[in-house]
Amino acid sequence: MTSDTATGARVLVVDDAATVRLYHTTLLGGAGFAVNEAANGLEAVEAALGTDFDLFVVDVNMPKMNGYACVEALRSDTVGSDAPVVMISTEDRPGDADRAYQAGANLYLVKPVAGDRLVRVATMLTAGKDDVA
Amino acid sequence: MNPLLAQFLAEANDLLAQVDEGLLQLERDPGDPELVNEVFRAAHTFKGSSGLFDFPELTRLTHAAEDLLDAVRGGRLALDSGMTDDLLASFDLIRGWLAHVTTHERLPSGAGSDAAGLITRLRAPLGGEAAPSAPSAAGPAVLVDTAPDWLAYLDAEWLTETAGWLSTTGSTLRFLWYTPDTDCFFRAEDPLHLIRQLPALDRLSVVQPGTWPAVQEYDEYTCMLSFLVVTRASLGELNHLFRYVTDQIEIVELDADAITRHLSGEPPLRAEEVMTVAVTPVIDTEMAADARSVLHAAHRALTMDGVVTEGTRIRSVRHAVAAAARSLGVPVDLGAAGPAELLTAIDLLAGEAAPAPVAIAPVPAAPPRAEERVESRADDPGGQVGTRVLKVDQEKVDRLMELVGELNVAKNGLTFLAASAEEEFGSRALSRRIKDQYAGLHRIAEELQSAVMDVRMLPLSVAFSRFPRLVRDLSRRLGKNIELVTEGGDTMADKDVIEALGDPLVHLVRNSLDHGIETPDERSLRGKSHTARLTLTAVADGDAVIVEVSDDGRGVDPDRVKHKAYEKGLISEEELETLSDVDAVDLVFRPGFSTADQVSDLSGRGVGMDAVRASVEKLGGAVTMRSKLGQGTSTRLRLPLSMAVTQVMVVSVAGQRFGIPVDLVVETVKVPAGGMGRVLHQDVVMMRGEVVPVIDLARALDMPWSLPETADRPILVVSVNGQRVGLLVEQFHREVDVILKPMEGLLAYADEFSGTALLGDGLVLLVLNMKEVLGLAARVA
Repeated sequence: MTSDTATGARVLVVDDAATVRLYHTTLLGGAGFAVNEAANGLEAVEAALGTDFDLFVVDVNMPKMNGYACVEALRSDTVGSDAPVVMISTEDRPGDADRAYQAGANLYLVKPVAGDRLVRVATMLTAGKDDVA
Repeated sequence: MNPLLAQFLAEANDLLAQVDEGLLQLERDPGDPELVNEVFRAAHTFKGSSGLFDFPELTRLTHAAEDLLDAVRGGRLALDSGMTDDLLASFDLIRGWLAHVTTHERLPSGAGSDAAGLITRLRAPLGGEAAPSAPSAAGPAVLVDTAPDWLAYLDAEWLTETAGWLSTTGSTLRFLWYTPDTDCFFRAEDPLHLIRQLPALDRLSVVQPGTWPAVQEYDEYTCMLSFLVVTRASLGELNHLFRYVTDQIEIVELDADAITRHLSGEPPLRAEEVMTVAVTPVIDTEMAADARSVLHAAHRALTMDGVVTEGTRIRSVRHAVAAAARSLGVPVDLGAAGPAELLTAIDLLAGEAAPAPVAIAPVPAAPPRAEERVESRADDPGGQVGTRVLKVDQEKVDRLMELVGELNVAKNGLTFLAASAEEEFGSRALSRRIKDQYAGLHRIAEELQSAVMDVRMLPLSVAFSRFPRLVRDLSRRLGKNIELVTEGGDTMADKDVIEALGDPLVHLVRNSLDHGIETPDERSLRGKSHTARLTLTAVADGDAVIVEVSDDGRGVDPDRVKHKAYEKGLISEEELETLSDVDAVDLVFRPGFSTADQVSDLSGRGVGMDAVRASVEKLGGAVTMRSKLGQGTSTRLRLPLSMAVTQVMVVSVAGQRFGIPVDLVVETVKVPAGGMGRVLHQDVVMMRGEVVPVIDLARALDMPWSLPETADRPILVVSVNGQRVGLLVEQFHREVDVILKPMEGLLAYADEFSGTALLGDGLVLLVLNMKEVLGLAARVA
């Protein structure tokens, strides 16, 4: 994959709300990303075990396995992903972002995220991925 | 409708049902943390999705509900029934809104005012304060570098905290300064009211004039206050709210940097800094803002206590920092930089943007890409993860069902072909081969049909689901204690049956609550437990499903029913004497009968059980009631599992064929002409010691036809409402499976027919509604 375009980068959208998933996948898919979906943390981890994603967009509040646990699992030895993780949540109290970073997320955004912003961030985070080992 | 909204509406339905059910369970078991969590999560998910649309009232109301639930979840509040009422009312209102959204794609016009009261009530237990967090509708807003001087009216400690938090979350805050005109009161402007309507209010500061005028000069009709508001409401919302006073307000959006600069008393961005940003290529300011957010996040991740800074984590931070640097137009080579080096790089990037690429790592070693890629897993095309349940538009399934019906008709055509092969062309062998072919096709068609019908099957719990709420609300209004028990909710039936079952069931349950079940005082007087029991049961019984509504209430008094029926002229004096208790109870199904002495607003309006019987019979079912005085009543509905396919017996009269539902058919007999009897004006036939009235179907349908005097009489015996009646017909034919289509247009008023069906030979069969036909016969006689 060329490093100066986001087209084709693989993104996993993790959210229990089907509407939010559709919103995110439509936006990212429209921008040229190859988007997969997962409805909770557990599904996300399973998906990450099978596919090397270039970016994760993860919700916080989910059944079965919440976003924090999910990101921790992604960063664990089992999955071992160092791809950027953007957490998107409705929780925007001070401290929530820190929990996300503690888990291993690289950016914390508050819902709803404007469409152009999500695409911009995703493009930014996936464009540089091949520069660093 | 746009697909996102359609998805939202579909999902909302499920979520709201979850919330409702959870709330009701919670009321019974308020201490269950798992339940609270479930309800909260459903409400939370709903709110999150609603924020994607321009439904500010919806988001605000859900948000208030969510905050209340959050407080309950956190143990800060105990859920009482008042709160449950408010929550249920809120979600009811929301459900109404969504129905409006479904057709109009926007909220109803009165949504704001409808919600206002509920929001206040929901917030009351929380101390009435606005929520600390509310989603901002992501709208365009002007990011301002310079903090306006009025920011000084906010206390520094709060600003510090806010700046720190803004830098890590990527949230945006809007600061609004509102100085009403001094004579605003004379123009019917109410500044306080405006401020009160402000959504997602984070901070409010009411600023007094520096010096108040001397008492003798002070005019209380002059507004001298200013308002400083910090909110997360979108710019659009703010502009709308303040649309009449646009000249009196100032809105700015500040980022963490601007606030920090304001706090440190520094002047705004120096000219050269602005230059640097301007010089750097291919950057738009928004991209730069996002890059800064990423850098802040990385910084925080590296400096926070208890964060692992090795392995995948540090690598991902490196990715993020490199990506941010790149989009800032300052690509950096981070090599294998450790936490300290990364922090230096971040400081450099965030501070003065370096003009040249920054080399951080001492060893720009070849990135160990190959190694990593060896470990990487092969891309899995089947890695698509998602739900395995397919949600299908109902119309598609209905279409499939129709096609199956047409296939059945086409299939039946083969039997006619076989018959004509033998009769017209004299080829018995061909006829047999067609029949073989038919048998194979028949088997597949049957399997296909049951497969499609299976898709349409829903558990009875769908029909039961509304009752916990209904029983709860009604029993509170009536002051009765009622425990609702549902059994067999997993019994499956066709969705049409389930849907059609709704109204009759509501009727029966309301009747039980209203008339059947006694007040707690009355119950204890009779030595019954205070809490009455209402049971909804469903069991499968062959091709039918039996649904029973039973209560342990006062039961039906057969004598009272008889007298009432007599008073209303429904039964004769003779019947009043002779009617058995069982038959007496059955009188409640007679049209125009109502046992309620007063018409209550719950059930009794004169149209009671007869409506239930009519609608159940329309479904091809039957309803019976058993009751023991003082011990309770049980009403049993027997319904076909599926209404899609009906078995009818074909008979002909005057050369025309008619269908009669096989369910009703008891037997077919041929009675010699002399075997017929006559009682009064009624033809009868003796069958196994029972006198069965015989009706001439041709006469009832007003068709000119009569049998030769001496011919045997073909009589079809049917059972309608438990009564046996013989139908005199011309000839019996086969039984066939048909898809019944209701009568349409002008014919819809022809009550004697319950529908039409297409036969395999292309003939349209009229299917008789036996109850109506018997009524006709009675009138003709």
